[in-house]
Amino acid sequence: MFEIEIFKKKGFKNSHGEHVLSDIFELAIKDITKVEYSPLYLIDGDINLSEAKMTAVELLSDKITESYAVRRYSDLNSKTVNLQMLSASVIEVCYKKGVTDTVVESVMKAVKDLGIDKDIKVRAARKYYLFGTVSKTVLNIIATKLLANTLVQEYKIK
Amino acid sequence: MKKIKVLILRTAGTNCDYETQAAFELCGAVVDCVHINTLIERKDKIFEYDILAFPGGFSYGDDIASGKILANEVKNKLGDEVREIALSGKPIIGICNGFQVLVKMGLLPDPKLFEQISTLSYNDSDKFECRWVYLKTEKKVKNESSCIWTKNLPDIISLPIAHGEGKFIPGDKKLLDILNKNNQIVFRYSAKDGSDPGYPLAPNGSVEQIAGICNTKGNVFGLMPHPERYVFALQHPAKEGFDGKYGCGRIIFQNAVNFVKWS
Repeated sequence: MFEIEIFKKKGFKNSHGEHVLSDIFELAIKDITKVEYSPLYLIDGDINLSEAKMTAVELLSDKITESYAVRRYSDLNSKTVNLQMLSASVIEVCYKKGVTDTVVESVMKAVKDLGIDKDIKVRAARKYYLFGTVSKTVLNIIATKLLANTLVQEYKIK
Repeated sequence: MKKIKVLILRTAGTNCDYETQAAFELCGAVVDCVHINTLIERKDKIFEYDILAFPGGFSYGDDIASGKILANEVKNKLGDEVREIALSGKPIIGICNGFQVLVKMGLLPDPKLFEQISTLSYNDSDKFECRWVYLKTEKKVKNESSCIWTKNLPDIISLPIAHGEGKFIPGDKKLLDILNKNNQIVFRYSAKDGSDPGYPLAPNGSVEQIAGICNTKGNVFGLMPHPERYVFALQHPAKEGFDGKYGCGRIIFQNAVNFVKWS
């Protein structure tokens, strides 16, 4: 299984992160100073590293404004984690099992269009890096009030 | 007289195909809206047409990024054919989502290169922006650009926009200089008097207010605003138009039809 995370390159505006930050201020939470947003894709199945990288380059990231990290699922706790992001709290949001995720269906179709004709399973998530010192309770408020619709989505705080 | 045939490529999520069809028909063309799967099954069919149009909408739900999945699909399955049409000089237009497709597959700004060297990214506001805007078709551009689609337009025109990812970003400064030097920047967002606009008239934060570009030959044209939504004066909020009846958008489609008719 591979995890592909997409980052904005330096110098390009993380519009969604800034939007979330302004929404956090409106909740009267002033201790978050910056929010970075990263789309995240988990791809499971019979694909190899070069196919995962090709998917990241050709499909999941924008060549001009974005970079990517491809990690084997077994490496997720290793040093491949983006060091700049280590000081941040992380909230990851994805659909609950059983809820249709149209992004996933589009990715599976598009991977085949790339010529990777293999059976794969995909999960998509939205990852938010929140910079600043806040308690887990506050992170829970941010997650439930702003980032996740808990009826159909689940979230993890890391 | 020769009938001008237009192919409008549609797929899941395109939703401006009928308006685009109506605009071309108003200009005297015969139009087919063809699903991409049909075209992939019979690739040579694409050469039967004089003009190719990528309409606006939300292809594949704008999943991953707007236009990205359709761009990959076209490039991987119809890339040779589409590139050949572009290089042959036949008119190609990409409107809004279609512009995103052209840019992300690399047909714009340079179909010879056919690599993505610029992008259309998320609006600075992180919101879907939907309104009428002013566009500058600078005199210099109008007279010197080789763009076949934008001849005879007034200096400032008004068109509606509706997009969440319309911020044009060239890959580097060198490319921006080339686009400027070759007069490939066809439309820029502007204020009503032609001066630099602020938000919301500049809806997305595009570099140098770029709203539309063409290739050096001028036959491949992409723009974020929707000319097909302003072919009649009645469609304008103030009912403005020319000849008391038509909107500026019509001129764009008529230019392409006339180009084919007279070439």
